[in-house]
Amino acid sequence: MFDLDQSIKEWLKLFRRHPAFGHGSVQEMEVHLRDHIDDLISAGKGEKEAFELAVSEFGEIRPMAEEEFENLRRKSRFISISHSSLFYNYLKSATRNIKKHKLFSFINLLGLTMGLTIVLLIGLFVSDELSFDQFHAKKDRIYRVVENQYYEGQEVFPVAVTPTGLGPALVETYPEVLNQTRVSREVYTFELGEKKIRERGGVMVDATFFEILSYPLLRGDLEKFDKHLNSLILCEAMAEKYFPDEDPIGKTISLSGEEYIIYGILKDIPRNSHLQFKYATNFKKYVSENSDRANNFSTNWLYTYVEVVEDHQLDSLNSKVEHTIKDNNEGSVTDIYFQPVPEIYLGTVDFVVETNTKGEMLYVKVFSMVAIFILLISCINFMNLSTARSTNRAKEVGLRKTIGANRTQLIFQFLSESILLSLIAMVFAVIIATLMLPSFNEITHKEMEINSLIGSDLGLKLFLGLLISALITGLIAGSYPAMYLSSIQPTQILSSQVVIVKKRFGLRRTLVVLQFMISVSLIIGTIVVYQQLDYIRNMDIGFNKENIIYLDVTRKKARLFAAEMGGKPGVVSVGLSNRHPAYILSSSSGFQWPGKDLEKKFLMHYMSMDENYFPTMEMRMVEGRNFFHTDTLVVIINERALAMMDLENPIGKKLYGAYDDSVAATIVGVVKDFNFKSVHTPVEPLLVFKGGPESLGMVFIKYENEARESIKGTIDGVYKDVFPDGDLNFYFLDDDFDELYEAEEATGKLSGYFAAFAILISCLGLFGLVSYAAEQRVREIGIRKVYGASVRNLFILQAYDFIRLVVLSLLFSIPIGWYAMSDWLENYAYRVDLSIWVFMGSALIAILISILTVSYQTIRSALRNPADAIRSI
Amino acid sequence: MISKNLTAASTKPIILGILKQGNSYGYLIIKKVKELSGGSMEWSDGMLYPVLHRLEKDKLIQSKWTMSDNARPRKYYRITEAGKKALAEEKKQWLQINAVLNEIWDIKTSRIL
Repeated sequence: MFDLDQSIKEWLKLFRRHPAFGHGSVQEMEVHLRDHIDDLISAGKGEKEAFELAVSEFGEIRPMAEEEFENLRRKSRFISISHSSLFYNYLKSATRNIKKHKLFSFINLLGLTMGLTIVLLIGLFVSDELSFDQFHAKKDRIYRVVENQYYEGQEVFPVAVTPTGLGPALVETYPEVLNQTRVSREVYTFELGEKKIRERGGVMVDATFFEILSYPLLRGDLEKFDKHLNSLILCEAMAEKYFPDEDPIGKTISLSGEEYIIYGILKDIPRNSHLQFKYATNFKKYVSENSDRANNFSTNWLYTYVEVVEDHQLDSLNSKVEHTIKDNNEGSVTDIYFQPVPEIYLGTVDFVVETNTKGEMLYVKVFSMVAIFILLISCINFMNLSTARSTNRAKEVGLRKTIGANRTQLIFQFLSESILLSLIAMVFAVIIATLMLPSFNEITHKEMEINSLIGSDLGLKLFLGLLISALITGLIAGSYPAMYLSSIQPTQILSSQVVIVKKRFGLRRTLVVLQFMISVSLIIGTIVVYQQLDYIRNMDIGFNKENIIYLDVTRKKARLFAAEMGGKPGVVSVGLSNRHPAYILSSSSGFQWPGKDLEKKFLMHYMSMDENYFPTMEMRMVEGRNFFHTDTLVVIINERALAMMDLENPIGKKLYGAYDDSVAATIVGVVKDFNFKSVHTPVEPLLVFKGGPESLGMVFIKYENEARESIKGTIDGVYKDVFPDGDLNFYFLDDDFDELYEAEEATGKLSGYFAAFAILISCLGLFGLVSYAAEQRVREIGIRKVYGASVRNLFILQAYDFIRLVVLSLLFSIPIGWYAMSDWLENYAYRVDLSIWVFMGSALIAILISILTVSYQTIRSALRNPADAIRSI
Repeated sequence: MISKNLTAASTKPIILGILKQGNSYGYLIIKKVKELSGGSMEWSDGMLYPVLHRLEKDKLIQSKWTMSDNARPRKYYRITEAGKKALAEEKKQWLQINAVLNEIWDIKTSRIL
C-alpha cells in the first residue's frame, strides 16, 4: 500500500541530509511537491504515479544542493548576519535573558551606569578646567611675564606681578616682542544719580590689552579710549546695571569722585578666563600723573602680558629676556620669564599675587585617574558577572549549535548582547549625569552643561572614548562566553544532566582583588583629605579668626570710627591695620640692621597697625611688648624674622629702612608667628610697623559671640554717624578663610563621593558573585545542612572565599594609599601625619562592608530548607 | 528543445518578469514558465529554488510566508524596486541580442536573394 505522507517524508529527508537547506527551504520544497501532486491527482493520476512524476520533474537534489550551498557561502559574511532575521532572535534571547535573571541584569546595569556617570561628570570637570583661556585667538603667542626672585635663606620666590617699566622695555629691547599690556587691579566707587556702589573687579590696562587678549568689544571706540585719560570700558553686565535703558557710550560716570567717559562696551568675560574683571580704565592716566612712574623697575604690582612673533622658540626667548629687570635696575635679584597664557589657570607654580581664578592641575590629574579607576571597577563588575553567568547559558549554546549555528554566529550573538547592555548603561549614564549636574556644579563652583561636552573638541573625544570603552567592556565581557562557550562540543553539554563547564575562577578573583585595591585606596585618600582639611581649619594659625568683622574706611576718620565702635555693646575690641591678615603681600629687601651681611638680600614682608590690632586678633607676644599708643619709630618682628635676622637679644636693636632710610626704628617686641598667607606656604619673615595717624584704613572689629546678629546694626549706626556719605561694605574674616580653602573643601567632598561610589560598585560586583556562587552551591549547602552543618559554619564556608580576596587587596592598597597621600600632603607647609589608624580604619571599613555584602546571600542560602534545595533540579 | 546554457541565462529575466506581473510562489512560477514555453524549456523544478534564493539574497526579490485558512502556507515572492531595475537592464540586453540576431539573419536573407 502506498503511503503518500510517508513517501514525502522520506523524500524530504534527502534534503535534510544536506547542510545547505535550512528548515524554511525544506518546507518550501514540501509545499511545492504537495501542490504538484495535488494538481496531478486532479488531472486523474493515481497517488503513487503523481508522487513519482512530481519527484522526477523536481529533478536531482544534489546539483540543487550545490547551487544552494553557493548561496549560503556568500551569506555567512558579517553584514548578512546582522541583516538576517537572526539578529532579532539575538535581541529576543538577550531580552529574555535579562528578564530571566533580573537581579544579575540589574546589578550589571546599575554598576556600569554608575561608573559611566562618574566618568561623564569627571570628564565634564576636567574638560572645563582644561578649557581655560583657550578662547584667546593668539593663545599660542601670548604670555604673562612672571618673576623669580632670589633671596638669602629661602628658595626661589615666584611672583606674578611686575614693575611698570618692564612691558615697554621688553617691546623696545626685543624685536620678537611685538606688543605689551599692563594690567593692574583696581577698586572704584561708582556714583551715578542715586547709585553709589563700591565696585571690585576693575582693571587698569593699556589699550593694547584688547588686541592681545580676546575680550571682544561689542561697541565703542578703542582709539578714543586710548587717547583720553579718564576713559572707561564697561562689561555688558555693568552697562546694564548703570544704564539699564540707554546707550552708555559717551556718557559720563563718577569713579571715586572723578568723572570718566565710557568709550566702549565689552562682552562679559567668559567664565573660563583666568582674568576676571567688570570694567577697565586707561593705564595712561596712571603714568601721566607722575613722570617717574613709567620707568619704575623696582615695585612689583601689576601683571604684564606680551604678544610675540608667531615663529618663536619659548626657551631661547626666555633666556634672552631673563635679565631685563636686572639690566634696568642695578642690584635687583629678579629674573623674569614668559608664562604661556593658557597655562596660567592650571599652572603649578605658587606665585605671589596670583589671580583669584586659579585651578589645580593636581586635582585635574587626580580626578582623571579616579575616573579611569571607577570605570575600570565597573567594567570589571560587568565582566565578572557576565562570565560567571555564562556557564548558565551553556545549554543554550549547545542547542544553538545543534540546530546549526556556527561559531561566528555565536560569538556575534554574545557580543551584541553585552554591547547592547553597555550601550543601555551609557544612555542611562547620560541621563543621570544630566540630572546630577546642578549639585555637581554646586560642589565644584562651576556652571557646566552636559552639551558643552558635545560642543567642545575634548568633549567629543570624551564621548567617543566612553563609547569605545562601553564597546570594549561589552567586547571583553562578551568575548569570554563567546569564545569559550562557542568552542564546547554540543554533545558534551547536552549529554550530561549537570552542566560541567570548566571553572575559570582565577581571573575573576584577580579582578575582585584589583577592584578592592582601587576602592580601598580611594577610601584612604578620602580620609586623609578630610583629616588634612580638618587640620587646616583647626590649626593654630597664630590668631583667632572667629567673630571678626572687617571693613575698609577712609583713613582720615578711621581712628574716630574705631574709637566710636569700641564703646558699643557687644564689641570686644577694635584694631586698625593696612592689611588683611591673610593677604600680606607687600615685601621688600631694603631693610638693614646691625650685623646684617650686606652682600646678601633678605626679603621681608611688612604691614602697619595700631596698638589695638594684636589684642583684637588675639596675636601673642613671645618677647618684648605690644605697641603703646604714643609709640613712634618702633617695630615688632615675627619669630621667623627673628631667626632670619639672627639677633641674640632683639629688643632695643635698631632697624633701618622701615620709616625712613636715615632714621632707625627700635625693635620693641617679637610676635608669635601667624599665618598671613595660605597654609600651602610656611610663615615668612614679617615686620610690623606702628601706623601713623590717618595711615590705616582697615578696621577689624571683634564682637561677642552673642552679638552675632546685633553687631551688623551697631556697625551700620556708627558708620552712618561717622561717614554720612559713605556706603558700608563689611566682611566676616572666617568667611575669607573658608574661601581660601574652598578647593580643599570641594576636593574633600568629591573624593568622598567618589570613594563611596567606588566601594558601592565594587560591593555590587561582590554581591553578584556571591549570589552566583550561592546559586551554584545550593545543593552542596543543602546536603551539608542535612549532615549537620550549622548556619554559622555555612556562613563562614561561603564568606571566607570572598573576604579572603578583600583582605588580599589590602596588602596592595595600603602601600599605594600611603605613597599617594604622602605625595599629596607635600603640597602643604602644615600637614597631618599619616597615622596607622587611617589605614586600619580604611581596611576595617572595606572588610565590614564586604562582610555585610556577602552575608545577605550566604545567610539566606544557609537558612534555606535543605529539602527544597536538594529536591530542585 | 532550448539548450541548458540558454535556459540558465534566461532564468533571471523570466522569473523577474513573471514576478513583475504579480506576487507568486515557487510552484506557480514553474507552472507559468512551462505554460509559456510550451514545454520547450527544460527546467527541473528543483533548480528554480536556488535561483529564487539567490535573487532574494541579491535583494532583487523579497519573500514572505503567507498563511491562509483553506490552503497550505506558501512562500510568496515579490519583486523589489532593485529587481525592477535589474529586469529593465536584462530586457535591454536581451533586446540588443535579439536585434543583432535579427539583423544578421535579415542580411543573410537579402544577400541570397
